[in-house]
Amino acid sequence: MALLFTGTSLSSHAQNGVDSVKTLLIKVETGLQFDLVRFTVKPGQKVRIVFENTDDMDHNLLITMPGAREEVVTTALQLAEKGPAMNFIPKSPKILWSIPVIAPDQKGTVEFTAPEKAGVYPYVCTYPGHGFLMYGAMYVNSTGKMPKLKDDRNIPESRRAAPLSEGEKHDDMHAGHQMPPVPKPLHPYTPISPYLYRVFIEGASPAAIAVSLPDSLSYCWDAGTCRLRFAWHGGFLDNSDLWKGKGDALAKVVGHIFFTDQAFPFRIGKSEKLALINYKGYTLIDRYPEFHYTVNGVDIYEMIRPTIGTIGLVRTFRIPDAGADVVYLADQEDTIVYKSSAGQWKNGQLQLNAAEARQFKVTMTIKKEMKHGK
Amino acid sequence: MGNRLSKAICVSLFLLVFIWAGNARSQSYRVETIKMPDGLTNENGAIEFLPDGRLVGCFTRGEVMIYNPKDEKWSLFAEGFHDPLGILVLSNSEMLIIQRPELTRVKDTDGDGSADLYEKVTDDFGLSGNYHEYNYGPVKDGAGNLFIALNSTSPGGSMRPEVRGKIDTLGRDGSNGLRQMYSAVPYRGWIMKLTADGQLHPYASGFRSPNGLGFDSEGNLFATDNQGDWVGTSPLFHVQEGKFYGHPGSLIWTRGWNKGNPYRLSPEVLNGMRTKPAVLFPHGIMANSPTQPLCDQTNGQFGPFGGQLLIGEMNKERIVRVMLERVGGELQGACIPFLDGAGLRKGNNRLAFSPDGVLYVGQNSHGWLGDEGIQRIVFTGKTPVDIYTMNLTKTGFKLVFTEPMEKESLINADNFKLRHYNYAYHKKYGSDQMGVQSDQVRGIEISADGKEVTFTVEALQAGYVYELNLNNIKSKDGGALENTLICYTLNKLIK
Repeated sequence: MALLFTGTSLSSHAQNGVDSVKTLLIKVETGLQFDLVRFTVKPGQKVRIVFENTDDMDHNLLITMPGAREEVVTTALQLAEKGPAMNFIPKSPKILWSIPVIAPDQKGTVEFTAPEKAGVYPYVCTYPGHGFLMYGAMYVNSTGKMPKLKDDRNIPESRRAAPLSEGEKHDDMHAGHQMPPVPKPLHPYTPISPYLYRVFIEGASPAAIAVSLPDSLSYCWDAGTCRLRFAWHGGFLDNSDLWKGKGDALAKVVGHIFFTDQAFPFRIGKSEKLALINYKGYTLIDRYPEFHYTVNGVDIYEMIRPTIGTIGLVRTFRIPDAGADVVYLADQEDTIVYKSSAGQWKNGQLQLNAAEARQFKVTMTIKKEMKHGK
Repeated sequence: MGNRLSKAICVSLFLLVFIWAGNARSQSYRVETIKMPDGLTNENGAIEFLPDGRLVGCFTRGEVMIYNPKDEKWSLFAEGFHDPLGILVLSNSEMLIIQRPELTRVKDTDGDGSADLYEKVTDDFGLSGNYHEYNYGPVKDGAGNLFIALNSTSPGGSMRPEVRGKIDTLGRDGSNGLRQMYSAVPYRGWIMKLTADGQLHPYASGFRSPNGLGFDSEGNLFATDNQGDWVGTSPLFHVQEGKFYGHPGSLIWTRGWNKGNPYRLSPEVLNGMRTKPAVLFPHGIMANSPTQPLCDQTNGQFGPFGGQLLIGEMNKERIVRVMLERVGGELQGACIPFLDGAGLRKGNNRLAFSPDGVLYVGQNSHGWLGDEGIQRIVFTGKTPVDIYTMNLTKTGFKLVFTEPMEKESLINADNFKLRHYNYAYHKKYGSDQMGVQSDQVRGIEISADGKEVTFTVEALQAGYVYELNLNNIKSKDGGALENTLICYTLNKLIK
């Protein structure tokens, strides 16, 4: 396709600023791509490219004659076992400038004077296997113009849409977002609440479980610490970054967190010794997970459902054989109202004997206005 | 997985092989593509077969799906997993699945076709929240013990403020861990053994990114690893209890470890501690990111290579084949391409044989190079013209072919291009081929049936890969040799 400026923007006039060095920092993003996928320089401009390898594998960076990228990539591959010693840079007049193989977390620099001839000069990593994906375009022209991103055939197809981190976000079902160019479903089915994901998420250990409940309620129960960590309403998760590439990201909460816990909620018996907790797993009952864990060997089961008509959670606990009194320690958040189906509240602590602890409910609702204490 | 994809691919070489092999090999093996369900992001984490012949696969977004090859329909079995990368089937309704936080027993207890029990089997290992902490397995030995592998932690990622397990920064190189793969929470970089009592035991250390566990038919455990720091080229390890396989960080979790930060030990000291790979996959030539080893125990249903290991490769449209022998008490052997191109894609991450001997291949990219989906490789019944085994002799090597070969081409030493080299053991990412030297093939002898050839090599040396390229060699019936490149890792000479 003809580019807007081809043949028209060749200019012999010296431009202001042509002599100043244009410095570009190029890093590496997950999935074999340069973070900077295209840029413009002026003909004859001094250019400095700083290539910072932010990836965990080796890369180089070559700038080629217009249209010569694929040929150079193929020539580099033909180096076969000689490639490493040559930094995968073949001898070719089509290669204008290059930065040799840069190890992870290292930088390399190349300085050059941009060609006088306007055109699109590809840059590419010729590390074997990378060159068909990992490339970009240096536009040399005096106008500083580039085609629309979506029409730019000089960059990888995957980069012609809005950046992935923006685009794939809207993978998420939640309304109010601009749709990506090609909407992708989350799954081959539509998840029906309640459902859950094991995720990395802020505010919990790396062994977190995020659960979507009906009525736009969600909570994070942490298998690493065996407790409800926080709860929110107004949505569930945006997993687009977590699911992208290597998974070097966190799931993002969609909605508003209305509860965050402070400490482990149970004390069983008089023992002051540090509770030894052990996560056991969960069972789905009508799709609701019932978590199972032990505290100093005592089995505890917990299922969380939404309250009806208010924003809140009903936590059903089962401690079939506590063998001693049980104290449930409510968090001292004055935004939450606690109620229970059994036991006695004292100073924010719910006291239950072993029989009462066999099954009881703690209801947590958002305080609407002034309410009496717990 | 991890840096498995940090790996190069010699595409030009591959393309040549593809064109040529596509014709020759299509007569012995046929590649077919499985239709995946609409809406599934097909990054396959693992595949296995249920006893009833259905295929189970798990995927990056946490789905566990079951495929019935008879009607080609998919159904959802379980959901919500975090990066599931391994399955061990227990029954038609029950399986073990490894995910980032734990090994989980997943069971459909009420028979409605979807799982309702997600029981932790073990989570007795650290988790810093770093993206590279992928977990693999489980595989089961003859005694019922399970083995899982825990990736080292990447300097390209970070540790979360809240981790699981005790932090010990002695397992890192540099105060911020931003240099090499590391192990700052327990047992990252280890292969672990889970005994019947539910206890998880550290078994072997020194792994960087061991994305592939498997047993051979004799019960030997193997793991692949990925080229990178301390891994000059990707290896296959014969994993044995108590041994250290080379990547330093994991050493701090060795019982009784008293040598401080392992990265402060000299490479010579570390080299003396490590057990070397049974097989090296020369980078850029054989495999850049090998994955799961699977032993062909199909009794001929999948062709003539029974008892050998097939290993997926992420970066090429290739499955690699490994043949092993015991020399001086240790396993060593050769690797050779098994299938190149012929419609196979990249990202060959998981392998499983169907009950009728068809090889299914799960594909993944996961942020590195690779394709996505599932393909299967069907043996057509026509024996490929190939190297069946390569064995070391006292003075050289012996090749056994699957078919009688044409003797005129085989007797000609000019048709044998042999060279040897090794790889540096160092913290630098990968290694060039070191000490490359050509060898002269002499004394070629061919068996009466034309299926075996022996030759001698002057000054055969331990500690090198011997790379053999065969040219112009045909079968007696005129069939081209399907794979002409074979690499023997010579750790020990025959005394």
